[in-house]
Amino acid sequence: MTSTLLRFKNIVGGYGNTMVVSDISGTIGKGEVLGIFGRNGVGKSTLSKLLAGALPMSVGSLLLNNKDISFTSNHERRQRGIGYMPQTAMVFDNLTVRENLSLARSTQDMKYYLSAFPRLAERQTQIAGSMSGGERKILAFVRTMLEETCLVILDEPSEGVQPENILKMQECIERRKAKGTSFVLVEQNMSMLTSISDFYIGIDSGRIVFESDKKSASRQDILSVLSV
Amino acid sequence: MAYIAVTSAALLTVLLLVPQLFGTFTAYQIGLFLIYGIVAQGIGFLWGKTGILPLGQAIFFGIAAYACAQILKNIDSLPLQIALFVVVVACLALLGFALAFIVFKGRSDSGPYFSLITLALAMICEQVAGTATNTTGGFNGIYGYPTIANLDQFNELYYVIAIVTVLSTAAISVLNTLPAGLVARAVSDNEKRMQLFGFPTHLVKGLVFGLSAAFAAVAGILFANHQGIVTPTSTGFLLSANLVIWTAVGGRNHVYGPLIGAVGIGYLSSELRGSFVYWEVIVALVFIIVVLKYPGGIAGYLVDIFCRFKKNIRSTELHLCNAPAISTSIVQPKLIFSKTKVKMGPVRILNGVDLVTPKTGIVCIIGPNGAGKTSLLNAITGNLIVSAGSVSLDNKYIHNLPTHKAFACGIARKLQVPSVFFSLTVFENIALAVIAGRARFLDFFRPSTLKWRTAELTNLLNSEAMTALVDMEKPVSALAQGHRQFLEFAMTTAVQPKVLLLDEPCAGLSPDETRMMTNLVRDFQERNNGLIILIEHDMSIVRDLADRVVVLHQGAVLFEGSYDDVRNNKSVQDVYSGGTK
Amino acid sequence: MSSILLLNILWQVSILAMVTIGLGIVFGQLKIMNMAHGELVMIGAYAPVITSHLGLSGYLQLPICVATVGLTALIMERTVIRHFYGRPFDSLLATWGLSILMREIVEMIFGREYQSVSSPLPGTMSLLGTDYPIYRVVVILGVAVFFFTLLLWYRRSKVGTEIKAMVENPALAQAVGINTSRLSSVCFVFGAVSAGIAGMVLAPTTRVEPMMGLDYLIRSFFSLVVGGLGSLEGLFIGVGLIGGIQSTIGAFFNQTYGYLFVLTLSILFLWLKPNGLYRSN
Repeated sequence: MTSTLLRFKNIVGGYGNTMVVSDISGTIGKGEVLGIFGRNGVGKSTLSKLLAGALPMSVGSLLLNNKDISFTSNHERRQRGIGYMPQTAMVFDNLTVRENLSLARSTQDMKYYLSAFPRLAERQTQIAGSMSGGERKILAFVRTMLEETCLVILDEPSEGVQPENILKMQECIERRKAKGTSFVLVEQNMSMLTSISDFYIGIDSGRIVFESDKKSASRQDILSVLSV
Repeated sequence: MAYIAVTSAALLTVLLLVPQLFGTFTAYQIGLFLIYGIVAQGIGFLWGKTGILPLGQAIFFGIAAYACAQILKNIDSLPLQIALFVVVVACLALLGFALAFIVFKGRSDSGPYFSLITLALAMICEQVAGTATNTTGGFNGIYGYPTIANLDQFNELYYVIAIVTVLSTAAISVLNTLPAGLVARAVSDNEKRMQLFGFPTHLVKGLVFGLSAAFAAVAGILFANHQGIVTPTSTGFLLSANLVIWTAVGGRNHVYGPLIGAVGIGYLSSELRGSFVYWEVIVALVFIIVVLKYPGGIAGYLVDIFCRFKKNIRSTELHLCNAPAISTSIVQPKLIFSKTKVKMGPVRILNGVDLVTPKTGIVCIIGPNGAGKTSLLNAITGNLIVSAGSVSLDNKYIHNLPTHKAFACGIARKLQVPSVFFSLTVFENIALAVIAGRARFLDFFRPSTLKWRTAELTNLLNSEAMTALVDMEKPVSALAQGHRQFLEFAMTTAVQPKVLLLDEPCAGLSPDETRMMTNLVRDFQERNNGLIILIEHDMSIVRDLADRVVVLHQGAVLFEGSYDDVRNNKSVQDVYSGGTK
Repeated sequence: MSSILLLNILWQVSILAMVTIGLGIVFGQLKIMNMAHGELVMIGAYAPVITSHLGLSGYLQLPICVATVGLTALIMERTVIRHFYGRPFDSLLATWGLSILMREIVEMIFGREYQSVSSPLPGTMSLLGTDYPIYRVVVILGVAVFFFTLLLWYRRSKVGTEIKAMVENPALAQAVGINTSRLSSVCFVFGAVSAGIAGMVLAPTTRVEPMMGLDYLIRSFFSLVVGGLGSLEGLFIGVGLIGGIQSTIGAFFNQTYGYLFVLTLSILFLWLKPNGLYRSN
């Protein structure tokens, strides 16, 4: 049994007075991938924001390596080892590709990622905002993956990305996973979700409606949650 | 409308009571700040609705005041004086219009730069007014001229000011309820979307700035009469800044806000400055707190309280009426790209695209990330400059046209990230889409235009896919990303385009929603029978929809053919192997 | 004649550069249109007034200047400015209010009248064939050294990218581990203190009074507009053009023409070349 990395309990949160996520709990072990899915607007992105600290939790607790990080800000969580790729506005549009990547605290694996996504190597001096939607997703993905964090939260990394590059993203995730990194993956793309997640949480109206590990969940089960 | 009549009458009563209750001298003093209030109302409309902050509104105020003083000094006939006043106001409105029109042409932002230009102009005006002694009297100003029709400054003139104030308030109130007011708000919310809907946004900004200049000019004429002296400070930077402060503190989003700000703060300051030493400090603190905590100003705060007590005042009953048909000149929506090239810095984004589309049907564009798919659409709608080659539609060149002209060619576009009006309600979003291309100039000034609907749109909105949009009064910012996709689709198809450009309409949608979206696209094509260009990654969607598939690679067409052709082509397989959700 | 003019231009440009660098960071990077920037210059200029009032040594001018301006800036940033990053319009209004407040407070303490400050380095020296005040020569050299060090440091540091990232997308900057709240405070205070030092240096050569800031604010704003935001190179071009032209036209014709020329030039740039002469990207 792997040791627990992140434990979140009874998380509640949202915007203003509207609570989008209510009472969600779970644990992630070292080197595990948690796949989160659900229809549009059910609170997936909000949950990932709450975990990353981009949005403060109203209720709930968060333990990373058994240390309480419930009340820490986004940048503190990053320094403690949580990397986060948001769904929208995921790159700095006014900075060049190189500048975007230089913001990662570690650049050890730069060569590996640039050879996986040669397009980024070709466009080092281009302003990120002038790249296509899919390219920006890739840039954000690489920036997040470069960081040597123990947990990576990815919010819809495959949106607008061509299938080949999605496969490469999966490879990159598997590679880090083998080194013991854990992932939270929010995805609409079923093939990506099912091929790399170790266990799933299905969300509807801000609550967990489905929970299963990889072996016992069929694609049909997942689709049935999505079509509620 | 009845509401506006009642409030205007109430305002008139209050203003007429002032001399009776507080005496004519107080009325005289308040009159000055009512004059400033009129300028501030113009600023409030410009700033609150279109987002343009004018820092030099005293330009128009001061020039009008100087012109008025010269007219009163040199011309005796009353009709001629009034005629010349009208000319002055018209000229300054035109000047304002031209300034904004020229500066905003070819740009799409609300521009802090424009604010700084007006600031610099006000400073130039003040300097010139102080130097050109012959026409302006230099630092001493012009004085010693009669008032218009020899009205008593301390008595009768107040009533003229009161009436003009009520008229300006009523004018802005009416404008706020008209489609023209909605268009102004939409421009500040999402200018790119307005351009894609065919609105020349620089024209809208020019008109609104011209209107605010006219308000300032009218006030300037009243000012010259009221004060009996015009000095360089009346056209300078400090007055401009004060006007903005009054507008901000009073509340820029509401028609009464600027009046409250000018009369409240301005009058109280002038009264208390002498007797109470710390008054200026208090004003500064109040101002900072308002900007920090109550961006809507005093009026915004009052409106919030009012709404808390009285919820849902708007009647939900809507009498929708049929929209007029949209007319386009094109007969053959056949797009032809010929060696089209687009460069961005050193990077070639499109590298000689040669493509002829069919007249009707759904053309799917696929290709790796960065192949130039979205750029191809940008070249069609004028969002990117074509550096070589051409794009033509119905045998007319359409590349490098301003974005708003693409719409007139029958082209509508749904963007990759949903581009809707976030600060407006669902109803207002839809209304703007129906107005686009259908409304003629006068329609923008008829309230009924907002209720236009087409039969197709009503059907679409009642369909299963649009259930999230049922609450028409909901602000769009409260919709989830996926629901915005459906809203934008409804808006884009409401204009019945001959050429519909869809950029990844299914991005971020669940499998169920994806199915609904593909059905909507197919239904629309069956009814409209035009040309649809659709960018998509998901090959199952491409298989379902495409009559023809174009593969882009490195900024050029790699292959085109049917879905099966593409699937079996070796070179396509090498660079690109599509997957499904 | 011409060497005096040249030295005067150098002096004007050095002072203007010192005022503008702070505004360049605050306006160009943090996107705060700081209308109270001139008041920071003004508060800095009161440092020598404070030392002479209290009978302190002239060497304490610099620490007092840094302390008063730094503290003012820190309070400004913590209470007001930090709510307005990336919102130029709203920040303009709020800082306009702050500028009134600061002028009023200084007026309550020191009164409205002009204060004169004596030069810490009286006397002239012979330079390029004319006699020129030693004090000004020292200041010009000091400013040159300051900018040279700043340039060397900036070239090597990642902080420029981090500031740009923070302003564009604070949430994402947090996610990549930037402590945005600390970074923005440091930037703002640094910009303010450099303006304050410019004010302190200016004090012996001008009249010190509560309203003195506006003129510096306007000239540094337009220097940024002409030069272009976001780079030291652009800043020098802008400062050189505005400072140089104004002193040249001022010397041959009169100050008003110099002023009008600068305003007209700025309008043309705002309209036709809103990114200035030198674009950072």
